[in-house]
Amino acid sequence: MSDTATGTVSQIIGSTFDAEFPEDGLPEIYNALKIEETTRGGVKVKVTGEVQQHLGGGQVRCVALGSTDGMVRGMTVHDTGQPLSVPVGKGTLGRVFNVLGDPIDGRGDVPHEERWPIHRPSPQLEDLSAKTEVFETGIKVVDLLTPFVRGGKAGLFGGAGLGKTVILTELIARIASAHGGYSVFAGVGERTREGNDLWLEMQETKIGQTERSVIEQTCMVFGQMNEPPGARLRVALSALTMAEWFRDATGSDTLLFVDNIFRFSQAGSEVSALLGRMPSAVGYQPTLGTELGQLQERITSTKKGAITSVQAVYVPADDPTDPAPATAFSHLDAFIYLERKISEKGIYPAIDPLASSSRILDPQYVGDHHYQVARRVQQTLQRYRELQDIIAILGVDELSEDDKMVVHRARRIERFLSQPFLVAEVFTGKAGKITPLADTIRSFEEICDGKWDHLPESAFMYVGAIEEAEEQYKKMQAEG
Amino acid sequence: MANARLLVKRLKAVRNIRKITRTMELIATSRFKRAMDRATEAAAYTKKIAEIVGDLGQANLKFSHPLLQARSEEKKSVLLVLTSNRGLCGGYNGAVLRKTMRHTEDLQERGIDYSLEVSGKRGIKFLNFQKIAIDQQYTHFEDKPKFSEVNELGARFAEDFVAGKIDRLDVAYTAFETMSRQSAVVETLLPLSNLSSDEGGSSNVSSSVDYEFAPSAQEILEEIVPAAFHAKLFKCFLDAAVSEQIARMVAMKGATENADEMAGDLKQQYNRARQAGITSELAEIIGGVAALE
Repeated sequence: MSDTATGTVSQIIGSTFDAEFPEDGLPEIYNALKIEETTRGGVKVKVTGEVQQHLGGGQVRCVALGSTDGMVRGMTVHDTGQPLSVPVGKGTLGRVFNVLGDPIDGRGDVPHEERWPIHRPSPQLEDLSAKTEVFETGIKVVDLLTPFVRGGKAGLFGGAGLGKTVILTELIARIASAHGGYSVFAGVGERTREGNDLWLEMQETKIGQTERSVIEQTCMVFGQMNEPPGARLRVALSALTMAEWFRDATGSDTLLFVDNIFRFSQAGSEVSALLGRMPSAVGYQPTLGTELGQLQERITSTKKGAITSVQAVYVPADDPTDPAPATAFSHLDAFIYLERKISEKGIYPAIDPLASSSRILDPQYVGDHHYQVARRVQQTLQRYRELQDIIAILGVDELSEDDKMVVHRARRIERFLSQPFLVAEVFTGKAGKITPLADTIRSFEEICDGKWDHLPESAFMYVGAIEEAEEQYKKMQAEG
Repeated sequence: MANARLLVKRLKAVRNIRKITRTMELIATSRFKRAMDRATEAAAYTKKIAEIVGDLGQANLKFSHPLLQARSEEKKSVLLVLTSNRGLCGGYNGAVLRKTMRHTEDLQERGIDYSLEVSGKRGIKFLNFQKIAIDQQYTHFEDKPKFSEVNELGARFAEDFVAGKIDRLDVAYTAFETMSRQSAVVETLLPLSNLSSDEGGSSNVSSSVDYEFAPSAQEILEEIVPAAFHAKLFKCFLDAAVSEQIARMVAMKGATENADEMAGDLKQQYNRARQAGITSELAEIIGGVAALE
């Protein structure tokens, strides 16, 4: 540790603390400060802080990246002279880290040649990659209506308990197992148990046909619910820094999964008031847009390599106009919105086909045919939604014959948007289905054309391509 | 709060729909009373005729009439479908049309040629949508079908039947059973086979009555069989009219209740959205003031 200056703790408020330094040796903003001392009670205190504000009079205000339990005024603070840095390189693969870049999987030290600071400038405009390519997932509703962009960002928005984490895990299982490059997973403020489950699952899942498990190509960084806000605020940056190394140094396609980006904003709001900022709309920090922008602008593809990122975004109280999800929305290429009404019908993934969208659902990128089919599906569902109030009051009999047909098909499309998941096999007892894009487009087109009007609605639940719906129907008939 | 405006708009729409359905319910109720009176009056007549024919049958006279004779081979049949001109009557038309579709499929399977005659705009629209050819369509039978109009139709059918142009006449309509039970049926009117079976319950009581026929049984038969057929056809129309009004009453009552419920829900949602908006604004102001201190 190359100390440049030493100060003392002068005030501790929750997860922030103030330190006093000599006027000529003030640590720079974002520098990491370290406290390592034993209290009189014999408790070892080891805290890292990050400088956020210079208050004047030699005082600096910091956010603690660990618990401030046991800290007392007067403790010695060492300025490390640089921002927090994390180990990067191939040595990080297969390992699990905390926000400070320390391994927490109990497998000893991480061999690394370099440490990169977690605060880095976002790539220059001229370095950005301009190509747009569709990224197939094998999930029907995603591929058809909200196609992912290779090297782009996709967001999974949804209220509590709609299955954001399940879809994210599913995407990891689908993409990472078929993916040649590296993956980085950032667990931000979600359940610790989920992180543990994911880690164990990644050890079991194999990449493609090889004997190597997914975890060997993945590094994970966790700052879960149990951690103080400072850790949750910075853990996404730690993970992103590791992903950036894979992009810049190896030039490979890198996947970055973040669960849950809302917790990042939430952590920011938790420390914001303690830092003395005036709360803004709905009590969020006034710097909400800036904070998120700094993070999101770094998750991007350059000419050297690509980062494809999938982020889960919690929507508080199912209100997508809440500032945190609304701010996150503007950064994304593909936007998936999970709807409670759909999950209540028992249709999973509970993706709202009308509220979800993608930048590349455009004939220019996906081709005319795909675009036309997607639009027809949306039109049918849109009309059905408009008719819903009338149906609720007057009943389906009062609709015109055309509208009855629309409702008939829309109800089938709605159910056909469900799909059995690989990761849910143990719960549903149905094998996960990977549906190629061509099959997806053909299936939906045929439903819109009325080719499958004769099948009952239940035949469309949880199948892959349309032929499986027919099989399911036959099986249902055979069983009576 | 952006949500609240949308809720107000929907609330207004639902309330307007409720006004309509409520009015329709009241209209249907009053129309039902009149239609019901007509049907009961006609029922008495139909019943008496059926009784007489039944008695004639019991009198064990050897009689025959062309309208009573079943053809050994049915080649050409007519299906008369009675639907309403107006909607907003729940499953009334749907049920009749479903029966119709099943019946036509059945006829097709048996290789019987049929022509469709449809009364009511709803049925016409449906069959046009299904691309099924309609040979005759009527829209002038409102909820008070006139006997003379129905008679015209009946006379034509009877004539065609006697002339051998058609071998069978079916009517798809909604039969009125009781106030709370109406069911869509397809009934065969020609050949007129069982005149007494439907309403013949009372014929046993009056079977002791002996009739004297003047000038002759055959001549009376010539008169009474067509009259029975016309009465029966007319009764189909009356039944359909009553059933339509009942169906509309029930459907509109349900619709009004649904609209009430929905308006209540929307109102509650709106109130919540409004209150949430106020709370968050208050919280922001208080927070702001606190931060300034």
